Amino acid sequence: MDMNMESLVYIALFAPFVGSMFAGLLFGNAPRTHLTGIVASILIFVAFLASATLAYHVATVGPVHVKMMDWITIGDLSIPFGFLVDQISVTMMVVVTLVSTIVHIYATGYMDHDKSYNRFFSYLSAFVFAMMILVMSDNFAGLFIGWEGVGVCSWLLVGFWYHKKDRPFEENPSISPSWAANEAFIMNRVADLGMLVGIFLIYWNIGSLQYDVVFEAMPNLADGILVSIAIALFIGAMGKSAQFPLHTWLTDAMEGPTPVSALIHAATMVTAGVFLVIRSNPLYSLDAVSGVSMFIAILGTFVAFYAASMALIARDIKRIVALSTLSQLGYMFAAAGLGAYWIALFHLAAHAFFKALLFLGAGNVMHAMDDELDIFKMGGLKTAMKASYWYMGIASFALAGLPFMAGFYSKDAIIETAFNEGTFIIWGMLVITAGMTAFYSFRQVFFSFHGEKRYEPLGFHPHDMYKYVLIAMAPLAILAVSFGWLMGYYKEFIYGLNESVQYEMSDHTHHLAIYLAALVVVIAIGAIFLAWKKYGGEGDKAWKRDEAFEQSFIYKLLENQYYVPKFYDEFIVKPYTITSAKFWEIDKAMVDGSVDKIGRACLKIGDTTRGMQNGNLSSYLNWMGLGALILVLVAAFSTITTESIVECLRAVAGKGE
Amino acid sequence: MDAILSILIFFPALAGFLGFIVDKNSAKVYGIAVATIELLLALWLWAKFDTTNGGMQFTEKVSLISDFGISYNVGVDGISLFIVIMAALITLLGIILLRPDTKNMKNMIVSLLFLEMTMVGVFLTLDAIVFYLFWELSLVPMLYIIGAWGGPTRVYAAVKFFLYTFVGSLIMLVGLLSMAYLYHDANGVWTFSLLDWYTLPLTETQQFWLFLAFFAGFAIKVPMFPFHTWLPHAHGQAPTIGSVILAAVLLKMGTYGFVRFSLPILPDASVTFTPFIMVLSLIMVIYTAMIAFAQKDMKQVIAYSSVSHMGVIMLGVFAMNAEGLGGSVFLMLSHGIVSGALFMLVGVIYERTGTKIMDEFGGLAAVMPIYATVFGIMLMASVGLPLTIGFVGEFLVLLGFYQVSPIGTILAATTIIIGSVYMLALFKKSFFGPVRHEKNLGLKDLDKRELSALIPLVLITIWLGVYPNPVLGPIDNSAQKILVDMENRAISPATKEAIILSKKEAN
Repeated sequence: MDMNMESLVYIALFAPFVGSMFAGLLFGNAPRTHLTGIVASILIFVAFLASATLAYHVATVGPVHVKMMDWITIGDLSIPFGFLVDQISVTMMVVVTLVSTIVHIYATGYMDHDKSYNRFFSYLSAFVFAMMILVMSDNFAGLFIGWEGVGVCSWLLVGFWYHKKDRPFEENPSISPSWAANEAFIMNRVADLGMLVGIFLIYWNIGSLQYDVVFEAMPNLADGILVSIAIALFIGAMGKSAQFPLHTWLTDAMEGPTPVSALIHAATMVTAGVFLVIRSNPLYSLDAVSGVSMFIAILGTFVAFYAASMALIARDIKRIVALSTLSQLGYMFAAAGLGAYWIALFHLAAHAFFKALLFLGAGNVMHAMDDELDIFKMGGLKTAMKASYWYMGIASFALAGLPFMAGFYSKDAIIETAFNEGTFIIWGMLVITAGMTAFYSFRQVFFSFHGEKRYEPLGFHPHDMYKYVLIAMAPLAILAVSFGWLMGYYKEFIYGLNESVQYEMSDHTHHLAIYLAALVVVIAIGAIFLAWKKYGGEGDKAWKRDEAFEQSFIYKLLENQYYVPKFYDEFIVKPYTITSAKFWEIDKAMVDGSVDKIGRACLKIGDTTRGMQNGNLSSYLNWMGLGALILVLVAAFSTITTESIVECLRAVAGKGE
Repeated sequence: MDAILSILIFFPALAGFLGFIVDKNSAKVYGIAVATIELLLALWLWAKFDTTNGGMQFTEKVSLISDFGISYNVGVDGISLFIVIMAALITLLGIILLRPDTKNMKNMIVSLLFLEMTMVGVFLTLDAIVFYLFWELSLVPMLYIIGAWGGPTRVYAAVKFFLYTFVGSLIMLVGLLSMAYLYHDANGVWTFSLLDWYTLPLTETQQFWLFLAFFAGFAIKVPMFPFHTWLPHAHGQAPTIGSVILAAVLLKMGTYGFVRFSLPILPDASVTFTPFIMVLSLIMVIYTAMIAFAQKDMKQVIAYSSVSHMGVIMLGVFAMNAEGLGGSVFLMLSHGIVSGALFMLVGVIYERTGTKIMDEFGGLAAVMPIYATVFGIMLMASVGLPLTIGFVGEFLVLLGFYQVSPIGTILAATTIIIGSVYMLALFKKSFFGPVRHEKNLGLKDLDKRELSALIPLVLITIWLGVYPNPVLGPIDNSAQKILVDMENRAISPATKEAIILSKKEAN
């Protein structure tokens, strides 16, 4: 391999790191300056260019595999800093850096009044660096570096406005930025435990953590071990990709600044779990773990539906988008679980583009509405914010999967896969969810941009974002429309990787494909129409609040996220806190208390017996007499013989026979 | 310099004696100078150290009481080398961090230099009696530091610290004496040399009782559950410098004892006792981590977290493979660096506000951004974030122990969850949210003195997180040597089976 490609790998990897250090080390405590934002954005763009060049290289020549240096070497364990740029990782690299570039540029506008502007860019670029390590590493330990790295950056970024104080759950379901940040970190760590166990299992059964060695050795392992590894790794994936029951952190993470939500909680970090499953496709496609794969597909389908149901009634514009992310991650897992890894990856990329656009559009709305998130207070914004209206519209069309938009190809392929596999329940759920997706997406669009201008009496004066920011968003809009057109090329590209990543529909499915797609499209359009009828009207037809519905059981259930956060609070957080306090009590009273008791007993014995040594000769004589008496009595009544004493001494000396 | 190890041990003590005649205003400078020279000597030792040799190097031997085989016998291997360097480093940084207005500065410096002698001595000695001397002597300066510069109940805490560890050490002494006796019984000569002891075959019953005797001394020092309760008192009352050295170095004497004495001398008993050690260690990891979460005092959080992390180290010691054993030695170093830094950081805020109660703070990140950043980095190292020093050891220990007990490892690995629970809770309470008290708005960020103590620790935290191999290599060699010796001497087949030797070694 020529040197050129190797240096491109390092440029793609380290350019974001340099940007982060530039903003953090040089300007961390300096007053905000656009220099940090601009330099960081340029460096991410450089990483994008390098990634794109590498993608071309992978397509035309083949994968690039480099080893930078050794990291941990001990016993038989040897972990290098090695990087693998193949079809899967380069897809991620291009998506991550492209979305990141746009989000960085966007953030220069969005964050320009924030006094911690420099710090923000330092974190944001550090996040991209961590994500690049995650996707580029050639071994599981390296992946784990990025895995934890994105966790920390997400903690820093979600808690970016750390000065806000905690509010009660009823007032704000995500309490405060710092609370949400901690929740995200800790919940991810729960899953990381699974990930670590997976790594240990791999090491002790294969002796290496390198992907190539591991995946080659896997078919020779016992079924039970393979299943354990598959489960353990998937538990790790569930945390990062916020699958039920580890999903609550994702919606709460919306406490972070909106560019963070767009980058981390839509386009990149949350896809890490999906990436892991796709990366490990040689494992998950083995017959021995087909049960685990099916579970992944079922859980994914469930999450797709579950999240979409909550999005139907959500009022917080960012939560709606976050829930749709959750739902779409479910789709990706469904595809991956069913063995259609490349389709999952394609949907991951398509989703990253339109979801980032959707989030940035939501950010524009928030910006215009002075950080108001409640869509009930919006409406009719399309006149004030034309560009954002179009962007949100396009992204929602793509998400809803209308013909010729990105989601039409990628999401439809997933639904088709479910049909092709004969898993009709999954198929049915995914079709229904597609309808719900169209409904809630456009509910949000109509709520914010159509209908009565409900914001006017509240005194808002909305205005659109800076022009350059709106222009910077254009590539995302273009990709949200056109990315699906590349599906054929992408298939050809990724088929070069290996056999287990390939997936073809049967002739039968192929035959029916057009009808299946038509069904989904009809349902989606129907749902959009329904949303329009309900929320898009003006004047007489304007939406009116339905208080009775808001009191109903089903509404309460959805509003309270099926009471899962409440459950966690009652059955995990509170018992843990109480037990901890109890343990502390026990530690003080019993463990330490018994030590003090021994000490006090010694004191007491000394205190009571010191009367014997009062310096009074006659009392000494008395005690001596008593002692002598006791000795005589012992001698008289004891059965000790000389022999037994000698024996005893011998035994002590260890010389008995 | 053939006598480099002796110089390393006695130079601080000698300088300590001279310290009595130094002018009291220049005591701190004098202390810094001595500690710097000591650190440079330790680093020089590293430079001269043969990193491919897992055995003892730079050995010196002078007979002291030849009739009883007691000799001054020192040597260094990959395990003790870095602990000595860390002890020297922590002492230096601790002295740098001392406030210039510390009362009786001269006494403090002299105590610290004596303490340094005992610490270095413990880790370099290969003779059981001399080891015991240094081991017990280390109590004296620490007793004095807590008792003279401590908080309101310092005398109670100091006495508890002294008596508790002393009782354990006495039982250990009985073990050491019987070991010498057994050696004499078998070979007809008296010796307290560890290297000789390593060659003595012992029955399983003998090993069993000796293990318990050693355990009494080492476990209280570690401190293992349920013998840990002296530690929160000691930390609660000790001045910052006392806590830093206690957590960073003195506790490591216990785990080091297990590595240097229990494992190689008593291989079969070590394997027999592994389940017992595992249960106690798991209780340490989980139970004390939960107690740490219940604390209101920032320093107590760190104190209990120390116990929790020491539990992980103990697991690694008994993993019986190079990954786990080497990992636990590395974790001793990283815990020394990280807990040392955390105690320093607690000291910083205590000096400014006069309190360690977290609810009194809030919003410190806005008032003291550099302080918050350093604290954040050390927090991440403490919860074992990859690319910080804290990850390497913890990962290796858990990886290594998985071979012993998957269930035990999974329970121990909950440390990555509950460890982040109490640390993040600490950080949120102290650094996030609104500033609780108006007077805290005027708090000064880290000054030059504090930065010069903390920045080296931050740099090491990242350096050894990214590139641990220069340290891991020698540790690996010596850990493998211990395991090979254990395997060779083990009498029961179960022990041989439990010990996993590196395949590299076999080839």
